[in-house]
Amino acid sequence: MNAKKLDVRGLKCPMPIVKAKQEIEHMASGDQLEVTATDPGSVPDFQGWVKVNKKVSLRSQREETDDSGRKIYIHLLERLP
Amino acid sequence: MSSAVSAGVEEHGLELQAADLLAMIDAGRPVLVLDVRNEEEHASWRIEGVRPFQSVHVPYFEFLENPEGALAQIPSDTRPIAVVCAKGGSSSFVAEVLRDAGRDARNVAGGMVSYGDHLEARRVSLGEARAGHLEIWQVNRRGKGCLSYLIRSAGEAMVIDPSRRTEFYQSLAASLRARITAVVDTHVHADHLSGGPALAKASGAMYMTPSGDAEPPGSVLGNGASLRVGESVAQVLATPGHTPESICLLMEGKYLLSGDTLFARGIGRPDLGSDVRAWARLLYRTLRSALSRLPDETLILPAHYSATSEIRPDGTVSGVLGELRRSAPELQIADEEKFIAAMERAARPAPPSYPKIASANRLRESVAEDLASEWEIGRNECAASRAGP
Repeated sequence: MNAKKLDVRGLKCPMPIVKAKQEIEHMASGDQLEVTATDPGSVPDFQGWVKVNKKVSLRSQREETDDSGRKIYIHLLERLP
Repeated sequence: MSSAVSAGVEEHGLELQAADLLAMIDAGRPVLVLDVRNEEEHASWRIEGVRPFQSVHVPYFEFLENPEGALAQIPSDTRPIAVVCAKGGSSSFVAEVLRDAGRDARNVAGGMVSYGDHLEARRVSLGEARAGHLEIWQVNRRGKGCLSYLIRSAGEAMVIDPSRRTEFYQSLAASLRARITAVVDTHVHADHLSGGPALAKASGAMYMTPSGDAEPPGSVLGNGASLRVGESVAQVLATPGHTPESICLLMEGKYLLSGDTLFARGIGRPDLGSDVRAWARLLYRTLRSALSRLPDETLILPAHYSATSEIRPDGTVSGVLGELRRSAPELQIADEEKFIAAMERAARPAPPSYPKIASANRLRESVAEDLASEWEIGRNECAASRAGP
């Protein structure tokens, strides 16, 4: 399944979560959203957020380096029923 | 500073500077700290003052998902609420939610990054009028527990172990009508980025370190070297152990700028390199030779402290060598192999950014601002044993 992509590189908290929340609201159950962030704080933030938002689950998180050499954090979310 | 505090309170500004929040806490003025970071960040590093204060932790995403539930977790009274997060973004949003609910909430500008960068200077009491021309100013980076020094004598100043907020030392020197002539790092720091090279350049001073590859060669501080500042003289003591190149500076034979070798209540950890046994052996020999010759009344002025409780009523942090000799458990071990074994047992992982910081300091690289504040997150972890509860 293809996940919808959301690029929040360069944005600081709370914006990665705010934007992910907006997207998730409009998605159907089972849809996935891949969020790419540069803020390392986004890793524990997404973990904490899915504990209080019952409409979303965190499928995976990984760390990569983008073309410009920046560390990026990729969060895969799934909309729940 | 006191005028800035009252302005922040009386004007009911939307923002509060970290410095003003600390001043309110230290003075025992009513304030409730609301920390809106995630669990992990909150668990590892928090605002501390010299007096106890009430704080609550409610992550910002709870305010996004369930504002009523989040608001219900905050004690309802009339105290001003200082909202803090990592960098000031989420806390600004939460402060607005609180103000909409009728609460007196202010955002701590710049969040924990500003808290971690905040510096304050206090003059160390040298205990006797005879010290005369010599002044020692201790610069406390409270968020990290880092201490640096400005030593003033006869219109000249020497700065030791400066943080990267170099303008602070320049302003302090200017206010004391002193010209910075020397900047010293006692060793290659791993917990914070050195402001030494930049400060020396900005003030036209000589930058001196004990590391072997320093440039120019005359700036390498070897054992026994004398450093003159105004009418005072500091003697360099090679004190390897915390790191192999570590030095202490003994001012006028009485005041020991002890770097990370001795702290007010303990010693520096020897396990930040790849061979804890080798560095522990160096440390044992330093403690038993170079430092054992100093008199009990020597004043210890360290580069770090671990707990806010180490701050004295006058706002400074210091120790007396004789008391440390009696109380520090590590100094009770009179056998080299037993000492090494104890250090090996106490070894613990260092924060992951430490090797990167040490490398940048060793190579005198400048590090981009956002990366620098990310690396410098948290209190220093340079002592051999963790701070007690």
